[in-house]
Amino acid sequence: MATTQLTSISDHNFEQCLKCSICTVYCPVAAVNPAYPGPKQAGPDGERYRLKDPKFFDEALKLCLNCKRCEVACPSDVRIGDLIQQARMKHTTHRPKLRDMMLANTDLVGSMATIVAPITNFSLGLKPVKVVMDAVMAIDKHRTFPAYSAQKFEAWYRKNAQAQQDKFAHHVSYFHGCYVNYNFPQLGKDLVTVMNAVGYGVHLLDKEKCCGVALIANGMYQQARKQGEVNMASMRKSINQMRRPIITTSSTCTFTMRDEYPELLGVNNDNVREHLSLATRFLFQLIDEGEVKLAFRPDFKMRVAYHTACHMQRMGWAIYSTELLRMIPGLELVELDQNCCGISGTYGFKKENYETSQAIGSILFADIEAAKPDYVSTDCETCKWQIEMSTGVKVLNPISILAQAIDVEATQKLNGVR
Amino acid sequence: MKFDTIIMGGGLSGLTCGIALARTGKRVAIVAGGQNTLHFFGGSFELLGNVDGADVTNPLEAISSLDQQHPYSKMGHEQVAQLAEQAKSLLGDAGIKTSGDSARNHYRITPLGVTKPAWLTLDGLATTDRPDSLPWKKVALINLESFIDYPIDFVVEGLRALNTTVEMPTVTLECIKRARRSATEMRATNLAKVFTNTRNVAQLAEAINAVAGDVDAVLMPAVVGIDNEDASDILKAQVEKPMYFLPTLPPSVSGVRINAALRHYFQMLGGRFLLGDTVDKATLEGDRVTRVNTAKLQDTPLEADQYVLATGSFMSKGLVSNFERVYEPLLDLDTNAPKEHAQWSQFGLMGDQPFMSYGVMTDEHFRPLKDGKPLSNVYAIGQVLGGHNPLTLGDGTGVSLLTALAVAQNILDQK
Repeated sequence: MATTQLTSISDHNFEQCLKCSICTVYCPVAAVNPAYPGPKQAGPDGERYRLKDPKFFDEALKLCLNCKRCEVACPSDVRIGDLIQQARMKHTTHRPKLRDMMLANTDLVGSMATIVAPITNFSLGLKPVKVVMDAVMAIDKHRTFPAYSAQKFEAWYRKNAQAQQDKFAHHVSYFHGCYVNYNFPQLGKDLVTVMNAVGYGVHLLDKEKCCGVALIANGMYQQARKQGEVNMASMRKSINQMRRPIITTSSTCTFTMRDEYPELLGVNNDNVREHLSLATRFLFQLIDEGEVKLAFRPDFKMRVAYHTACHMQRMGWAIYSTELLRMIPGLELVELDQNCCGISGTYGFKKENYETSQAIGSILFADIEAAKPDYVSTDCETCKWQIEMSTGVKVLNPISILAQAIDVEATQKLNGVR
Repeated sequence: MKFDTIIMGGGLSGLTCGIALARTGKRVAIVAGGQNTLHFFGGSFELLGNVDGADVTNPLEAISSLDQQHPYSKMGHEQVAQLAEQAKSLLGDAGIKTSGDSARNHYRITPLGVTKPAWLTLDGLATTDRPDSLPWKKVALINLESFIDYPIDFVVEGLRALNTTVEMPTVTLECIKRARRSATEMRATNLAKVFTNTRNVAQLAEAINAVAGDVDAVLMPAVVGIDNEDASDILKAQVEKPMYFLPTLPPSVSGVRINAALRHYFQMLGGRFLLGDTVDKATLEGDRVTRVNTAKLQDTPLEADQYVLATGSFMSKGLVSNFERVYEPLLDLDTNAPKEHAQWSQFGLMGDQPFMSYGVMTDEHFRPLKDGKPLSNVYAIGQVLGGHNPLTLGDGTGVSLLTALAVAQNILDQK
């Protein structure tokens, strides 16, 4: 009897729920949209009914952002967000629309768009196009798609960086993600600058697919699973054959591949998870262990407000990014209070969610305005779009700030790089 | 990652200790596994409410009658008096305004409408000087339509027993109707989010004025002021009669607010707050902890000169029980729980339950004992401590605040 009590653990720790309702206090959606009952009802409470009869499934669950702030708040370690996502996967009869497929297929759409980037950017920014997208596709007209880059990061890398990477003493593989590849190669370039400066060669994975976070959010689980398997195979090769750990510059991609793969998609990431890290964490650990050193430019000055992205909060890793930023002399850091920006990937792009999305973000936007920073910093690309659109303040990934703040030559010298 | 002090637990005691240390310039990190029991806070702090079943009038005097194992007995009368003042001013510095006196209890009104002795009550809440009467002859208790988890009939009955005439006018609002789309979720904190909008607050004030009638005071369930006190100040200014809040069942609006205020103040002082993470391993070398590891930071150990255990009682898993034993899960510290399972509880759910006073044992500096000997750089504070009983003694929040400050002082005195 004693052993039963000690070892019996329910799925997603469901039975540990005490019904304290604290999760619902911290739900950004329930706070502004009364159509969503909040995590307690949508998660453990609803699950008791759904276990008896699937007819109790409520389509209102699609209003969940999957931000996981409920899980961070839960004093009893119930994986409330996972319970909700699992219920959606199991019970929903809602099929993804064309719009959802377009939004979710960041890889495919990105590939097509970068080929004709100037035309895409021009037309996506046009008022008539926005009105048509709003009316036909139900993509809210207030949104501007992040501009597509004329040159993909991978193309830049092959042309300008690849040849120099083998000379370094240490090596990592870089999962750049869709955003760096199609929209913002500069972040990838910054990562190469910083890693090279501390003596690490940066390499692409054999094959990289979109992590699948948008596919999961839009109900395309099969495709997400397939892409997950491809990523895991490439990463295993990198770890086992090349002895290269994998780093990323996106908190959401990292969270998806480390936690959502096994918990939601059933994609096995054993032996990969512990070698897959966010670049800020990887760097912090190297510095903490005395393996590498940074030299900073004496003239660098910047006031930065750091926003903890929801999935960054769920991973518990914000401290790596903020401690790294605090190492920079001349950088003044304000940690913003814990609030969701409201975009949640593709969620805020949908016309039906626009109002909710902006209402959720309003607390954060006011905090940013009050902090009067030169830049906001965050580890998530979709928070960047939302914050830039809603506040007008530019957003930089901590790695980009580091790339600006370090004295590259002096850092190379400190780390014995020639 | 290196700090001067690492505090395990982000509730009232952990935050208080963190603030007291961070304001002297110490590098402090708090690791908080999820939100804390401040969310069950009734709006009043208590130092010592009951001894031997009788209400305490002067908590400072009554301390001498406590058991030697009680945390207050380890501090002594003088330190308790001094730290009580310090606690009140620290709360004030964090923006939490309270009234009360450590040498004389007042009475709070519980969410079930009963009076209980209290030390400090948040400004704006209804209190009384005597256990058997209210300062008003006639009050209107606002019955907010759709508000669930509020036992208003109990409250009315409780207030009437205090020789007061109680009206119970019902208030219906448009903004509440909109929120009712999720009717199962109309708790205090959900309503409070509706009232972060000042237009809705004005609507509420207008409705209260329309129904309050000829009363000495309006009593309103505490469903206003979740982010800060702005909304409750606006409401008070717009309600014509004097208005006081009554605490609700959890989650508590004032609890959410003061939790955020303490955490904000701690971070403003440079403290690092790791929310949603748990210390799951402590490395012990001799009588010293040398490092701890957390569930999320995994292979990044946290190192410090001192470690403070503020992990709470059974509900927060600072103490764990199974069929075999009661134990402290991180370091397996000595507890005052007997081996014999049958002794942990006794008949009568609402009676004096022995397990409520279980916790870790410490020396006079609040250093916890392991195999009978104190660890040299670890301290225990708050509800994880044994030898006190928040239910029968009415000393819960007082023990959290005062042991936190005593330990912060002990740590600062070391160097």
